Amino acid sequence: MKKVATPDYTVADKLKTHVAALSTAAKEVVLPLNITTHYPRERKRQPECFRGFMLFDPERCISCFQCSFVCPANAIWMKEAPSGRYYPTVDHGKCIYCHFCVDTCPGGALKTTKIHDIAFRTMDEMVAMTEDMVEPPAIIREDKVVVDYVIDKEDLTLKRTKEVDELIVEIEPSEGVPMVSVCVDRGSCIACKVCTKVCESGAVSSLKDEEKLIVKMEIDSEKCTGCGLCVKECSMQILRLVRRE
Amino acid sequence: MIDITGLVSTILNNQVNIPLLYVIYEFLLKIPVIGSIVTFLLSIIPLFDVPIIRLLIGFVLWKPMWVLLIIPGFATLGTMLLILPWLERKLVGRMQWRVGPREIAPRTRGSIQLLADSLRFLCQEVIIHKDAHRLYFLQFPFLYFLPVLLPLLFINAGAIDHPLVPIETPYALQIMVGLISLMPVFIMGVGWSSNNRFAFIGTVREAFMYFAYEIPFIIVILAMIVLYGTSNTAEVITVANQGSWLHWGIVLNPLAALTFFIATVMATARLPFEIPEADQELAFGPFIEYSGIAFGLAYVMAYEKMYVLSAIMTMLFLGGGSGPVIPYLGELSYGIWFVIKTLIILLVMVNLRGVYPRYRLDQGLRIGWGAMLILALIALVWSIVIGVVL
Amino acid sequence: MENPNAHIDFLESGPLAPFKKWAAKWSLWPCHFITSCCGVELAHAFACGYDGERLGTLNLGIARQSNFIIIEGTITRKMARALQFVYGQMPDPKFVNVIGACGERGGIFWNSYNITHPSDIVPVDFFVPGCPITPEGLLRGVRALQDKIMGVDKTTIDFKKVELPFEEQLEERMVPTSPKLFAPTPEIKVDIKREVDWDFGKELEDKLKKELIGLYESMTITGVNRIAIKTTPGNLKVVAQKLKEMQFDHVKSVNVIQVPHERKFIVEYMAASYSVEELMPVLVTIFTEIGIKDPKLQSLMSVWESANYSEREMHEFFGVLFEGNDWMGKKFLLAPDTPDLPLRKEFKIPEERYAFEEGVEPEFMVPIEPPKDLYVPIWEEFIEKAYDSDEIIVPIGPHHAGSGHLRVTFRVKGDRIVDAIPEPGFVHRSMEKLAENKLYIQNIPLFERLAINDPANMNLAYVRAIENALSVEVPERAQYLRTIMAELSRIEAFYYDSGIFSLFFGHTTGFMYCMAIREMIIEALMQISGSRSGPSFIVPGGLRRDIPDTVLELIDNMTFALNRRMKKFESIFVYNPVTVARAKGVGVLTKEDAIRCGMVGPFLRASGVNYDVRKIAPYDAYDKVDFEVTTGDDGDCLGRFLGRLAEIKESVKIVKQAVDAVKGIQGPILSDDILGEYKEAASDIKGNFFRVYGNLVLPKGEWTTITEAARGTTLFTLISDGESNVPYRVRVISPCWMNLRGFMEAVKGERYADFWAVYGSFGYFPPEADR
Repeated sequence: MKKVATPDYTVADKLKTHVAALSTAAKEVVLPLNITTHYPRERKRQPECFRGFMLFDPERCISCFQCSFVCPANAIWMKEAPSGRYYPTVDHGKCIYCHFCVDTCPGGALKTTKIHDIAFRTMDEMVAMTEDMVEPPAIIREDKVVVDYVIDKEDLTLKRTKEVDELIVEIEPSEGVPMVSVCVDRGSCIACKVCTKVCESGAVSSLKDEEKLIVKMEIDSEKCTGCGLCVKECSMQILRLVRRE
Repeated sequence: MIDITGLVSTILNNQVNIPLLYVIYEFLLKIPVIGSIVTFLLSIIPLFDVPIIRLLIGFVLWKPMWVLLIIPGFATLGTMLLILPWLERKLVGRMQWRVGPREIAPRTRGSIQLLADSLRFLCQEVIIHKDAHRLYFLQFPFLYFLPVLLPLLFINAGAIDHPLVPIETPYALQIMVGLISLMPVFIMGVGWSSNNRFAFIGTVREAFMYFAYEIPFIIVILAMIVLYGTSNTAEVITVANQGSWLHWGIVLNPLAALTFFIATVMATARLPFEIPEADQELAFGPFIEYSGIAFGLAYVMAYEKMYVLSAIMTMLFLGGGSGPVIPYLGELSYGIWFVIKTLIILLVMVNLRGVYPRYRLDQGLRIGWGAMLILALIALVWSIVIGVVL
Repeated sequence: MENPNAHIDFLESGPLAPFKKWAAKWSLWPCHFITSCCGVELAHAFACGYDGERLGTLNLGIARQSNFIIIEGTITRKMARALQFVYGQMPDPKFVNVIGACGERGGIFWNSYNITHPSDIVPVDFFVPGCPITPEGLLRGVRALQDKIMGVDKTTIDFKKVELPFEEQLEERMVPTSPKLFAPTPEIKVDIKREVDWDFGKELEDKLKKELIGLYESMTITGVNRIAIKTTPGNLKVVAQKLKEMQFDHVKSVNVIQVPHERKFIVEYMAASYSVEELMPVLVTIFTEIGIKDPKLQSLMSVWESANYSEREMHEFFGVLFEGNDWMGKKFLLAPDTPDLPLRKEFKIPEERYAFEEGVEPEFMVPIEPPKDLYVPIWEEFIEKAYDSDEIIVPIGPHHAGSGHLRVTFRVKGDRIVDAIPEPGFVHRSMEKLAENKLYIQNIPLFERLAINDPANMNLAYVRAIENALSVEVPERAQYLRTIMAELSRIEAFYYDSGIFSLFFGHTTGFMYCMAIREMIIEALMQISGSRSGPSFIVPGGLRRDIPDTVLELIDNMTFALNRRMKKFESIFVYNPVTVARAKGVGVLTKEDAIRCGMVGPFLRASGVNYDVRKIAPYDAYDKVDFEVTTGDDGDCLGRFLGRLAEIKESVKIVKQAVDAVKGIQGPILSDDILGEYKEAASDIKGNFFRVYGNLVLPKGEWTTITEAARGTTLFTLISDGESNVPYRVRVISPCWMNLRGFMEAVKGERYADFWAVYGSFGYFPPEADR
């Protein structure tokens, strides 16, 4: 345990501290430890992992809805694309840039950029539809200089480089563990066809067995993306996600 | 019937002597086209024997006019008002590891920032809220000008044998003290007519602080009157510069200078004595309800007051405009020295904002009635002793 | 709103138009409308890191003299009144920018019962997205507004539209249902017996049983350091008194749980001790059940003063009447027009939507009717009392240069504060209600928004509650990394508070220096997590991803680099004679008072109580690093302030040790227990986040953890029914909420100007208190 005592100033202490304060101030006027980034003309270089506006790659999307489910602010709504598949849209009026969606995306379809300095005129503009998120957006940039924070053992200093920072981060999209959906208890299937309806990739099909007069569900493991929607929706809870062998 | 010719000769015989102007004049004459224009302009001679252009220049260079209009009068005041807030923001910004206003004019480091601010205030709505005393609410900020401007008339910006003072009177310092004492009354009026809780508290604080600094302030001035043996500002400078800078007030009586400086900081409500206006506590106290140009006036007035008080301090303690004569500038060099000295005091004063937090009202009062009063009295005794010795 | 562009039209009119426009462009003075956590980033945008003053924008605290409002985040129903007020007070032409998602469509609080949309209240020029926004974003908003004033009204982002790939049509589509599972009739039990290895607990239980004989119904050990005592409503007060005699001297939490299908409320008080060392980590919960109809209970305020404000709060949320508490029937946290009894289960908040539905016009924003009146109540008797005794009433806040979003009404006699009545709730964003409607994992960013300047600790406090319930062991590397983050966050919070403290004294330089130091720490946190002040990086079982060695190197450097600027700060502000004069001997809170009011954290320690959760119940790597608890004896403003500065030095020490230690430890940063079959994610959760955490279900029962956040003990109580993947009830007691009582106690009898000294010294951060 450490005790912190508050100082009791005598007149001499007062004079000393007055002088200390004044001399510090004078020193700073002469040789300031300035750390200002002149923002519109300069831009601070953000780390690669910076969490900014998201970009979306429809090729990699498996329409698993997980980004939408995990979004704490409910900013991601899925929208039906012309192809009939559901792709995410981001409402920047709600988005908190926690990037749970980016970390969630099993296909690596969502990726981060370093774009973050945006001002919208209206709230309607703030909804980024799927088609807006594929290509990097053009933003107003006045910066010609990039500022790096250099922290060494002495102090924080700014390093200025005359270049235009690339805001699009090129990171190899990491993929989640490849999974596939299987039925573990065929006998309990009630053939409600929810799995067929919910499947985005058309991997689940129903086969009518004319002889036994039952409907059998069939999961095409080649087509299955492992999105897990059927597992989630199955009313009998007989589907499981397993690792793709 | 006014004796115009006599007047003209009075004006022309009592001129501020700036040799540089002759140099410029001769130089202008040598330039082909401009030279002939100048000669043409000089050829316009109306009623009296003097060219009209000469008369106009002469009017400005006429000593009483010069001190009123140029140094230490309106022109200096105006420039100060325009650059001082900017300098303050830049210097305090520098002290705080940042930049201060800049993007408005990057080349000149944002020097016209105050122009934009004042223009914006000018074009903004002035709100008079319904509980305010409408008439006084509008009158007081304008009336406030008077006690702030009038002391300028008694300030001597010259040096030994070259007084630059608009009104020379044996009672100049006393009149100045009287006028300065008037200032808080107007602030109180401002606060009272605002009819706002915070304005009220701010006004009460101003009133308290007024007494706390006013008495040491007057005693210190008294000490300086004793020291110089005169209260005529023209003579003060003469006495102060007898033995070069060794007779300056600050050398002879540094305690008085310190007390005067602290009193000035208190009077202008700068940190650490920004007690009546306390941004965080009272949201600008008396001025809380003012908007638009009315607030702009109040904002500028604070700097004006600072300028006037610093000018007095320069005059009393730093030997006024004395300094080495700059060649070709003649009597103007005294003015320049005066402005430089004043500016240094002002900069120190505004930069205190970056160094000190704010005292509490009771602490401010204790300093005023305690330490400062004692310092002032010691300064007075010291002056008497020095006066006897010298 | 008739014409949203009237202010621009005004600038365009008249012969002076070009000058007017130019002047307005370069002289946008924001009136500092601090409404929520984005204010922290606003501070950075105008401090030395970015210096908004370069653009001619000078922050001014007063409405009359400014022409620009930057709405910083959430406008609650209470704050909406202030917004209308302030906007009305500003002279024309005036401009409004909204920063932060909360002020736009609500952000993470979009379905809260207590927020409004600023765009319904005032005409808004620009919206800056983000939560919290970056300083660059804020300045971009200012730039855009400058352009708009000059007549160039253009959006700052241009989305490029592309044709989406076309594939064959699928038939019979179904939108999946919500991932949230609610048990229809959950069984709620707060005293589930658990076998734990806790010898002292058994002793204590016996002792308690002996003391309370005949007064309790059951006594259960619910975990290490946790004992739950069930009693009847009638016996509650007697039990409390007995406990107090046994040195359980304060209450850490008052909680009400509604179980509608059993038609009952469970009311619980969590008592703890500051006086006896071995009792310090123990939380004794006494609870009782009362019927849902006309719920009434004896208030324990007379036994434990620290329960006072929490009882008021519970009364407002659930309608439980605590007889004896003088604030029953009055509003405390909520606005006059907030829905009544919002935390009852009958009160439903809007549901999430996960997809655009065909043929339905998408409604992105939950429509909220903004408050129409400007009525904010002041306690009538209070005013009468004041006028009877020639005192004046001075209300401070919520919009006041030095109040933040807290309203305090003073009775001032001369220069002395006779009485102060706090009115929190201006940033009450209803986190407890929202948390009941979110997956466990979604609550991480939510609770982080308690204190955006102390994010990692808030994050950690919540995550620890989950880990505690799941009994997950965190890998060693992650423990150290979490400790580093928590300590960085603590330094960050203390510097923020120091900055505000100096600002309250009118010392802008001190503020700027603090922000400069914070800028360094924020840089470190951003290198770690990618976000300036909302990392959301700590997840149950570890961290989201591993931290590269370069970042560790940077943090290591930073622990040295802090020194230089710290010294400057000390010589210009901390040891400045004026600061010492202002803060010394002011706002004294004696040890007895501090305990009575249930103070927490550095403010408790400054009054001389040696209590630090990091020591008494160590978590993460705190038992492996060497540090000291700082206490003080004075209990005044200066003591509290210097105490925290000393703690910064201890924190730096911890960070140094942890960085050294972590360099030698390789291994996973996520626990196997939580990853289940997704073992690949052990060093980076990317790609598997929802799969791992989406269906987290906590075991049945009550899970309470205490964590030492920057400003003190943060308590999270999670109540799980064992079936739902959303919590049944979450109770958050944030440090500032606990400190509010002592803060008001310290203000009394001081001078009017001292309120700011006391405010600053308590580091009171309203968003954290109001939750």
